[in-house]
Amino acid sequence: MKIIVCIKQVPERDAQVRIDGSGKWIEETDLQFAMNESDAYALEEALQLKEKHGGEVIVLSAGPERAGTTIREALAKGADRAIQVESNDPNQLDALGVAQLLATAAKQENPDLVLTGLQSDDLGYGQTGVIMAELMGLPHASLILNVEKTDSGITVKRELEEGWFQDIQLPLPAVLMIQSGGTKLRYATLMGIKKAKTKELRKLGAAELRQPTTQAATLEKITLPQKQKSTQIIPGNAKEAAATLVEKLKFEVRVL
Amino acid sequence: MSLFSATLAEPQSFSTWEKLLLAILIVTSVALFFSRFGPIVKRILTSKKDSNFKLSPIGRRIWRFFWQVLCQAKVIRERPLPGLAHAFVFWGFCAFALVTLNHFAVGFGRGFLDPAGIFGRFYSYFAAVFAAACAVGIFGLFVRRFFVRPRWLGKKVSYESGVIASLIFLLMVTYLAAFLISETSPAARPLWWIHSLSILAFLPIIPHTKHLHLVLSPATIFLSRGGFSKIPPLVGDEDFGLVAGTDLTRLVSLQAYSCVECGRCTEHCPANNTGKELNPKEIILGVRGYLNEFGPGSGESLIGKYNSMTADFQCTTCGACEYQCPVGIEHLPIIIGLRRGAVNTGAWEDEHGAKLFLALERGSNALGMSASERDRFVQKQQFPIFDGSQEYCLWLGCMGGYDPKGREIVADFARVMNNLGVSYGVLRKEKCTGDPVRRLGNDLLFQQLAEANLETLAQNKVKKIVSICPHCVRTIQEDWKEFGNPPEIEHHSEFLARYADKLPKQNTGGEPSETIAYHDPCYLGRYRDVYEQPRTVASLAGEVVEASRSHQRSFCCGAGGGLVFLGEENGDRVSNTRAKELVATGASTIGTACPFCNSMFRDALATTGDAAPQLMDIAQLIARALPQGNTAKTERA
Amino acid sequence: MSGIYVVLEDRNGRIGRISFEAIAAAKALAAHSGSKTTAIVIGAQTEPLAAEAATKGVGRVVRVEHALLSPYTSDGYTSALEQFIKSESPDYLVFPHTYQVRDYVPALAARFGRVLIGDVTAVSEGPVFIRSLMQGRLSGSYKAAGTGPCLISVQSGAFRAEGVEASPGEISTFTPTLEVAQIRAKPGEPYRGTAQTVDLGSAQMIVAVGRGIKEESNLSLVQALAASLGAEIAASRPICDNGWLPIERQVGSSGQTVAPKLYLAVGISGAIQHLVGMKGSQCIVAINKDAEAPIFEVADYGIVGDLFEVVPALTESIEAARQ
Repeated sequence: MKIIVCIKQVPERDAQVRIDGSGKWIEETDLQFAMNESDAYALEEALQLKEKHGGEVIVLSAGPERAGTTIREALAKGADRAIQVESNDPNQLDALGVAQLLATAAKQENPDLVLTGLQSDDLGYGQTGVIMAELMGLPHASLILNVEKTDSGITVKRELEEGWFQDIQLPLPAVLMIQSGGTKLRYATLMGIKKAKTKELRKLGAAELRQPTTQAATLEKITLPQKQKSTQIIPGNAKEAAATLVEKLKFEVRVL
Repeated sequence: MSLFSATLAEPQSFSTWEKLLLAILIVTSVALFFSRFGPIVKRILTSKKDSNFKLSPIGRRIWRFFWQVLCQAKVIRERPLPGLAHAFVFWGFCAFALVTLNHFAVGFGRGFLDPAGIFGRFYSYFAAVFAAACAVGIFGLFVRRFFVRPRWLGKKVSYESGVIASLIFLLMVTYLAAFLISETSPAARPLWWIHSLSILAFLPIIPHTKHLHLVLSPATIFLSRGGFSKIPPLVGDEDFGLVAGTDLTRLVSLQAYSCVECGRCTEHCPANNTGKELNPKEIILGVRGYLNEFGPGSGESLIGKYNSMTADFQCTTCGACEYQCPVGIEHLPIIIGLRRGAVNTGAWEDEHGAKLFLALERGSNALGMSASERDRFVQKQQFPIFDGSQEYCLWLGCMGGYDPKGREIVADFARVMNNLGVSYGVLRKEKCTGDPVRRLGNDLLFQQLAEANLETLAQNKVKKIVSICPHCVRTIQEDWKEFGNPPEIEHHSEFLARYADKLPKQNTGGEPSETIAYHDPCYLGRYRDVYEQPRTVASLAGEVVEASRSHQRSFCCGAGGGLVFLGEENGDRVSNTRAKELVATGASTIGTACPFCNSMFRDALATTGDAAPQLMDIAQLIARALPQGNTAKTERA
Repeated sequence: MSGIYVVLEDRNGRIGRISFEAIAAAKALAAHSGSKTTAIVIGAQTEPLAAEAATKGVGRVVRVEHALLSPYTSDGYTSALEQFIKSESPDYLVFPHTYQVRDYVPALAARFGRVLIGDVTAVSEGPVFIRSLMQGRLSGSYKAAGTGPCLISVQSGAFRAEGVEASPGEISTFTPTLEVAQIRAKPGEPYRGTAQTVDLGSAQMIVAVGRGIKEESNLSLVQALAASLGAEIAASRPICDNGWLPIERQVGSSGQTVAPKLYLAVGISGAIQHLVGMKGSQCIVAINKDAEAPIFEVADYGIVGDLFEVVPALTESIEAARQ
């Protein structure tokens, strides 16, 4: 199977963020970057499929120069080669813009399967894979925990709300958006990193892949939200505190 | 006839046939010896060269040889009675060198130690004393092995040990018997022949058995890596640790062939003592078995027929094995080497291990916590930020930065530093020193962490570090050397001991003082040789009492080697075993000097119930006597 | 026709709460722009749903109905709504931010060269749509640009559903053209995870018990609380060590790692070995009699009190609220 995995390099999950001068994005100096979490699961799913059924895993990523480290990390974990779409400000593009870049690059490869993570840890649109499927004219499914190859295509396990699941059969080629937690991730090894040094990393310019068009939605500015996380100690005796907590569970946490 | 007038009866002359026979037997014996010994030496010499071996400082090597080989110091100290018995056997062998040479010379009519002459007579008495001691010694050891049957000598009856013991006994007895007869006695010649045949039978057996240590162990001790748990750096792009025979180095091979199977390593192994599969002796013998079957050029995986991956990953790297070995085998670089081979190639599949590695791949600490939690702690404690103007950089580490109990220890230590007026600062950003991944064999992660941290330290111009965690201290001081120049670092016990006279004494005033059972952490004690300083500090707070196993024999708490991150153990918990031992001292307080020991004992004591002793780090023992409100916040972080 | 269209989602034959919240959001938007609202229900048998929607004061209700629209498939819904949008040219389409919406609406938007502004938590003058970035650490303000319909989806609980009862509005039907060959995915029947195995990892709510419970016989208190919430039971290590609960229920460094919507820690002090297993939970509530317990550091809500009093009171309040 020829599998393309789309990965994104995002700021480290728990990084302290500061808003930059423009007010439209965060200050990136001093930030550590890592592979987007659900993309790591997409990569793992792809590697397991390759181990079971043979084929090739190609990493596709749009981002600036520094994204190279994350791409090499994916190669170190077992991907065969990589394509980097050089784009200095992918976060200024809307989801459609990014998907256009990736879809054009992916189409050139004629893959059997395209896997993306469910959503990115920074912007969190959660749409890239669905739009890519639309642009590539392929069937898709999202929130996928498990992929099995069948004679007629694939069967995937999809997560539904409230603890329900659903199996879906799809023909190949298809696009899947992979949910975190469906499998165990593998760790990067020294051997993997050494092997990755000789694997192909092809670079494409964003301009070759996409006509600059006006965006459909713009991010006007970013701010720090009003509430910071802090512990609310609920006062009162047992009955009072219990009642207050239930109110909070209903309206603030919204689990009741 | 008194013993002092007796002389050694040497047969006067031998017939030509006898001389011929003797010559043939000697040649055969020696040939047989080399037929086995030769290939072993070849295997050792054709093993990979050790990349970081240096003969200097030679003085230290010579001292070690003198003390451990000639004086048999470690052999006697760690197991006094059997050790002494062995020492006599060894010294007997040494004394007998000249005697044996003379014995065969006599066979060819060229004896040079005249038993009636002054030197010859003196020397024969000298050797006789050793012969007697050796005979008693070897007899005692025989009884111990075959009748007392200590657990660590293994379950199998070792026939070869019996044969060797008998031969040695025979040698000594025939020598001593020669004093009781005269030269002209008809028994002299047969006695002489029995003695000779015993030697000639013994010689070829040596390389087939653990008695090879007779030949190898002096070299093994002289050539050992030195230091403690000295992990060699990986060299080149193809080196992933001990994966196959081609990775076994000369030192490893030499050490594998030197093993005397005494089992001292296994006897003191905390994993083995709590029912785990791990047996340090078996690991070394496994390498030997591998070398015998596959050789050093083989690509066959080391983990397999001769080594168990499960056992390899049960090691807490406490070092009791390496400390105990009387022939200079360094177990830790071998065990960690085997782990490296499994982890660096991805062969090790472990859920908790992967979780630890992924947490450090993506984040800054081994616990998988957000770095902002450390920032909040630093802010809340109002620790000064290190800016180059302070004397010390206070390294928090993962436990000091994120664990509630570790934070208490750090906060208390900071209070003591404030009280002493010592200037310090805390770094804005720290990453895990990489100790757990280093001991688990993940060189990729370790390199990344070491290099990132070294850069932070260089950028911040840190010259001196003090830390509450022996693992951080060891890793920063020793292991980071592979990737740069770490600054000076000391453990807080060493720091506090230096200021002991400025710290408040708590056990004055006549009331019964508190008793404190101090537990020596592996990474502070055996790894760093720091035993007295923490006791000095603890005695300011109460009376220090010793657990049954202390100092170099301290029994691990079970957290080391990355094991605290690896999930549940099989068998009894190492921590529970040690906690029971500490509680058994009857002390009212257990004193620790390592946040991991503290954490492990906290869990273990929780099962004891309300009667459990207090558990405190030495920093806390001091801080509690300080006046309140020493600028650093004392609230729980 | 233009205006603001809100797409309602079928939840077991009824309109779910989150769809009512979407209606509230649509009305807020309508107030800003002075337009009218229209509701859409999609499926194969939409009559009952449409009837319910018509009484919610949302204006006209359109039934987008076709046999191939059940079960839900992305191909079916995208094509059906695409045709509808072309026919009525809405200015805004408001969706609830559900798994289903995330699965097809981005594709739908792409067909018009538009993009979905998803998981919106507030609408302000402009209209400007607010959504969270970086797992809630930042707030972003978005504006639609260019021409074409603006598609947004609203976060669960961000808008308060009003309990409006109005006289039934007009209901009309739109029948899209769909062919079997267009539907490429074959979805199976939904199913629950196996009831036998304990899967704390996928539990939405967990009540965890620690040493504060003192004795095994007191576990029933906590079990009652868990039952009232429909939550799974978990425990810190000492409880499992004692054999009071099976090892599969242990949360912590040597047990499970969980990240439910709600984690209620009862009588747990918060030692690091336990924290590392549950700190990813979306909302942590702690009940402990020790105000200094480290668990309060990571908790969103805390009650400092005797669990033997608090837990029964809480169970009672929850049961009352659930009625």
